[in-house]
Amino acid sequence: MNTCQEPVIHLMHAYLDGDISRQDEQMLQAHLAECPHCREMMDELKMSALFLKSAAPVNAPEGFVSGVMARLPKEKSQAGFQR
Amino acid sequence: MDELVNKRINEVIKGNQDAFGEIVSLFQHRLYHVCYRMLGNPQEAEDIAQEAFVRAYVNIHTYDQKRKFSTWLYRIATNLCIDRIRKKKPDFYLDATVPGTDGLNMYSQISATGDLPEEEVERMETQERVQYEIGRLPDKYRTVIILRYLEELPLQEISDILELPLGTVKTRVHRGREALRKQMGNM
Repeated sequence: MNTCQEPVIHLMHAYLDGDISRQDEQMLQAHLAECPHCREMMDELKMSALFLKSAAPVNAPEGFVSGVMARLPKEKSQAGFQR
Repeated sequence: MDELVNKRINEVIKGNQDAFGEIVSLFQHRLYHVCYRMLGNPQEAEDIAQEAFVRAYVNIHTYDQKRKFSTWLYRIATNLCIDRIRKKKPDFYLDATVPGTDGLNMYSQISATGDLPEEEVERMETQERVQYEIGRLPDKYRTVIILRYLEELPLQEISDILELPLGTVKTRVHRGREALRKQMGNM
């Protein structure tokens, strides 16, 4: 474990969120270039994010909409005349 | 799209239930997906996602049309999912030792929340593994991670959905990513 981690980890996350100033990013890159521990951690964090992005979209099953409509409370009787 | 949604909502408010069907059609897949990822079970996801639409219908007059409809809908759905997850949690400490089991704790008894053996995890296909890893995240990190990475929502929108300050959302995304990194180790 190296002592540089805490503030650097914060910068890594800010970087991953696209929420980092140019100055901080340069600081982070300079640090990563010389610190193999932090570089490894950064790679692992990037991998975790990429892994999540590999999740395939899942669609609602057939009949979902009619299922919802069947669960709605009964329509007010005057509605039919207003259309 | 927002304009169309608001038009339909006004029809629903006037009493036209069919107009709501169109809203459900538009948002069904997104809402179901969030519920599926939160709960990890298709039947429960369908039940909760449908319930979320029913609640939206019943409370439609409280929706503020100046805001995004999807934000409001996601809020209803994530709250329902979190309630469901809490209700399923057993009412004891999972890491407490089970008497007479020589050090076994509750984690080792509940396969759904417990860790699987490494070989078994390695055999999983990517999609199965994604769901497994998401399911192992603590609830409060799981929600933000799903909204951020699977729904690809901006941090500000997540903050609106969960009614949490932006700073808290950022911290949870950080911790969630950190937890994921640790639990996955070297892939």
